[in-house]
Order: sequence, then C-alpha cells, then structure tokens
Amino acid sequence: MADRIEGVKKLFTSKSARIDTNRGDAHYETLFQACHARIEELKTQTPREDRLKIDDLLEDQGVSRRDFMKWASAVTGMLMLPSSFTPLVADAALLMNRAPVIWIELSDCAGNTEAILRSDGPKIDEILLDIISLEFNETIMSASGHQAEKQLEDAMHTFKDKYLLFVEGAIPMGIDGNYGTIGAHAETFYDHLMRISKHAAAVVAVGSCATFGGVPAAAPNPTQAVGVMDILKGKPLINIPACPANPANMVGVIIHYILTGQIPELDSLLRPKFAFGYRIHDNCERRAHFDAGEFVEEWGDEGAKNNFCLYKVGCKGPMTFNNCSIVRYNEGVNWPIGVGRGCIGCSEPDFWDKYAYERPMADANIKAPTGGVEKTVDEFGLGLLTAAGIGIGIHAAASLAAGKKEESGES
Amino acid sequence: MKPKYKQVKRMTTFMRINHWVVAICMVAAVITGLYIGHPYYQTYIADPAVDKYVMAWNRWIHFMVAIIFDVSSIVIAYLYFFSRFEKPYKKLIPTPANIKEFFEVLLNLVTLNRRKKFDSTHSDSFNTVFFLVFHLMLVWMLLTGLQLYVHGLASGLSSIGNWWPWMLHLVTDWTVPVSGWLIGTAAPTASIMDVRISHHLTMWLIITWVLFHVYYQVWRTVFWEEGDISIVVGGSKFVKEDQA
Ligand code: SF4
Ligand code: SF4
Repeated sequence: MADRIEGVKKLFTSKSARIDTNRGDAHYETLFQACHARIEELKTQTPREDRLKIDDLLEDQGVSRRDFMKWASAVTGMLMLPSSFTPLVADAALLMNRAPVIWIELSDCAGNTEAILRSDGPKIDEILLDIISLEFNETIMSASGHQAEKQLEDAMHTFKDKYLLFVEGAIPMGIDGNYGTIGAHAETFYDHLMRISKHAAAVVAVGSCATFGGVPAAAPNPTQAVGVMDILKGKPLINIPACPANPANMVGVIIHYILTGQIPELDSLLRPKFAFGYRIHDNCERRAHFDAGEFVEEWGDEGAKNNFCLYKVGCKGPMTFNNCSIVRYNEGVNWPIGVGRGCIGCSEPDFWDKYAYERPMADANIKAPTGGVEKTVDEFGLGLLTAAGIGIGIHAAASLAAGKKEESGES
Repeated sequence: MKPKYKQVKRMTTFMRINHWVVAICMVAAVITGLYIGHPYYQTYIADPAVDKYVMAWNRWIHFMVAIIFDVSSIVIAYLYFFSRFEKPYKKLIPTPANIKEFFEVLLNLVTLNRRKKFDSTHSDSFNTVFFLVFHLMLVWMLLTGLQLYVHGLASGLSSIGNWWPWMLHLVTDWTVPVSGWLIGTAAPTASIMDVRISHHLTMWLIITWVLFHVYYQVWRTVFWEEGDISIVVGGSKFVKEDQA
C-alpha cells in the first residue's frame, strides 16, 4: 500500500505535458507481471451482486468475441501499452463490475450521463459503463427521496475507502454554496461533495463543469462556480474534461485503475495523458489545408464545401488537448471538426470565455485588467499604439515649440 | 564661439550588426505573426493543384527569425555582464549615482531638453533601463513562443532528438501559470491559451516600445545636437569638448 501511495504521489508531481510512449521492455515486463497478479487476484473476488453477466450482455447487444477483442486492442493502444497487454485489458474490462462507483451530479446539465445513455446503440464503451458497479447515480436510479439517500449511505459504508467517486457538474460557492442544494436537508453541493469524497479511493471529475467550472463558471460567473480541483485537496483526483467527456476516456480511466490499481499518469491540469496528451490540431484531417493557408472564410462558402481548415471561423484545435480527433465520438462515427465546425476547446479551462467563439484567437475578447470593458487583443494593441503615437506627437510638437522659443530668446 | 566637438565610440561593429539583424527579424516576425494569429490574406480557393504552403511558410519564417532572435538574445545577455566594451549591468545596479542619472535623463525628456544635467557621452542609466525592458520582453516572447511551439512536437519526439522537446518543456512550462497570472486566470487552471494571449499582447507592447525608441533617438539627435542617430550606423556620436 505504501509504495502504491508513493507511486500515486510521483504521478501527481509530474507536471508536464510531455508524454513518454515507449518506456523500454524492462518497464513493461514488470508492469505486465504486476497487472497480471492484480487481475488474478480480482478474479477470485466475487462481485457484490452478479446482476449482469458481461459476456451475456455483450452477446445480447450483438457484440461478437472478435469485436470485443478488436476493441480491447484499441483500448490497449489508447492507454499507450504494448499489444501484449491486450488479453489483460480484455480481462480488466470483464472485471469492471469489481469497481464500485458512486456518481453525483452538481451544477450541470447531466450531459455526460446522457452521452453514455443516449448513444445511437450502445457500443462496447457504453455497455461497459452500464455494468460498472454503479452504486449510486441520481439521474438513472429508480429510488428517490429518503430512499435514495439511504442507498448512498449504504454504498459509502460498504465500500468505504474503495469506491471511485465520479463527479459531474461545477460547485457554486456564492452565498455560502446555497445556489445549489440537494436532498431533504438542503445540503449544499459543496458539503455534499466533501462528505462523499472523504472516503473515496479516488475522485474522477467528468466533463468540463466538474473539472474547471465549465459553463456555470463562465463570466460573469454569478454563482461563483468552481471545479472540483479548486476545492478538493489531499485526494487523488483525475480530470476527464470535454463537453461531454468521451465515454472512451471514462472507460480508459476505470480500466487503468482496475489493471494497475493506480490512477493514470496526469498532466499539469490533472488530465490523463493517454487521452489529453495530444493536440487536436496535430491529428486533424484538415491539417493539410491549414498548412496550405486554405481556410473557410464564412460558413457554407466554397472552402467549407471543400473541407478546408476552420481556423478562421474560430477553430481552437491548435490550443486544445484532447483525443477526440483520434478516437472521435460515438464509437468513431464522427467528431466536431469532421462535421464542419471548429473546435471550441471544450477540454480546456475557461473554454467558454477563452475558446468558444467563432473567430481566430487574435480577435478574442479579453477582459481589461480592471475587469470591465472587453476588447480584442488587437483592438487593445492598436489602442495602445495610438495612445503612444498621440503622446509622441504632443511631445514632439511641444519640444519643437519650446526649442523655437529658446532660440528666439537667445537671439 | 562655436563649440568644439569630439567623436566618441558608442557601439561596436557587432552591436550594430546585431541591431539591424534584430530590427529586420522583428519586422518579419510581426508580419508573419499577425498572419498566424489571424490569416489576413487569402490563398486562391479555385486552384487545387497549385503548390500552396502559405501558412507553413509563414510559420517557417516566424520560427527562423525566432531562432535568430534567440541566439542574439543569448549573446546580448552574455554581453550584459562580460562585454569588453561597456558592461550594461553596471548601469542597472541601483546605486545613488545611477538613480540620480536615471531621473536626470527622464527630466531632460519631460522638460523638453530645458534641463540637461548629466553626461551624455556614454550610455546612461535611463537608456540602459529602457533597453532592459525591451530585452525582458524579448525573453518573454522567446519563452512563450517556444512553449507554444513545443506542443507541436507530439509525443515528445523531434527530428533532432528527444532532448529538444524535453528541454523546451523544462525551460518553458512555467510560462503557463505565469501567463495565467498576467491575464488574470486563477493559477491551477491556467492554460496554453493564456500563453498565446500573452504572446500576442507582448507583440503590441514591443511595437509600442519600438515606436518610442525611434522617436527618442530622433528627438535626441535633434535637440541634443550630438548626432546620436549615427551611433547605430557608424558606431559613434559627437560630444561638445567642454562637456566630455
Ligand atoms: S480545422 Fe482546426 S484543428 Fe483542424 S487543422 Fe484547422 S485549425 Fe487545426
Ligand atoms: S473538437 Fe474540440 S470542442 Fe469539439 S469535442 Fe473535441 S475538444 Fe471538444
């Protein structure tokens, strides 16, 4: 346990976006042994209630063993593990119901829950998220009121220090947190989160609101909403931002946890590097048009018909880290830039204010240091230049006038 | 009686070459940088078979002049302390003499040359501080620019070896929280967008600096009557004999 804590600590202190895709055979050999031992150990445990047999479930949904193994090898690649790990990943996926999960909703639109539920026909990622041992989730559970609260208490008690806490939604901090309360006792979202996270093994913030405040925290942020990372201290925390968070990345984090007992390697914003170590722009199918200087100038123009780069209509792919340009959404059907609109940087902090506008960044509105008036960077710069020009003009004129006076005084 | 003039050397050949290299680089960096920030001219949409590489060439030029800038900055930083000609750091230490000189030169400027109580033979404290501001802005551009650039080296690989992105991350990652702080984002959630805004804003500050720099040189030439403008061309200016 102690070395595991050390390992977690070490991962948490690596604060760089740099990703290491090849750590050498020796590293993977030891990792394989460790993961193998862990999986074998997990297999001996019986799940709390074997409600659903995963194999049956997959078969019912028409997923063949072959499809499943294809999926497993894709996830292995996504987690940046060598292909020899594929059987382990498949095993880990089948053991997903050994990971007790409590899922709470705060200031949000339930979009992440929806993303899992409303997929066009459940694909393997979504099926697996169905069978995780979801002990509590307000949106999809049938219990309500006191019954629901009791269920939460039960789950927290039974899986003390073992459950993963998934948080969806921002936490409003204004008027002592009273912008958002839950339950019969009107517990504020803040207290709710603190109480449930206390005995969680790790906390997973899903979606942009839970990670960085997202839309509730957009200027002027009337409820003073913040993300989980702003207030939760001293707990392993994993951020899976994006709007909605990609089910593939949620599954990736859970599988990583089952496989290694640790949280994946994180970047400085606590996002797993396997998912957020890539820039949208570097894996974008329109990139060639970017380099060629071929841009969509306005929606629906000739360039748009030719799938040109969306930079000039506000694509923020060059500043956004996410893997949706690789894994896409809905089991690889498509993704935002694929359907012809720019990336709005949904996986980045303050995306609503800083990324989500249909103009290139140079035309971004920035807040004046005093708050107040919004100006674009270029307007601000030109204003500065004009002010300097006027200043210089006045000084020059005054100098000339003064100089003349002196001369006439001398003569 | 006409005052006698004496010629004093102010800039070495190297310093002058550096000055003009930097000046040309800066114009190139601004032109290409503005394009990268907001492509302001169009490539011909109708010609699919033409060799178009407009954004890539703009970025290429931007990076090339940046590298020249970087090398020049390193040399200038070295010269601050070890120049055999004039060591600028000596004028930056806030000794009473330096502080007095700084304000005397400033007063000279705001009183429109009515008061001139300092030795204008050598580079004065005001001038040195003014240039220090410029050099600090350049260093900031260099570091933020490299931070924006290193993310293009996906997975920490580059054609010249893995040490390059590794080093760039090591040296420039701290610009993210600092940019966030400058822009006014709370520390834990600063992102690369803050770096980009900061990089773009600093460009405007530098252009403003250049505007004032050119004006001040011309103004000095006209009002001090010591031929300051020729420092950057011939390397020397003239001072009245009785002053020197
Ligand atoms: S569409 Fe966006 S992500 Fe794709 S190349 Fe253009 S700017 Fe980059
Ligand atoms: S393209 Fe950008 S805005 Fe769209 S889902 Fe991906 S990261 Fe989010």
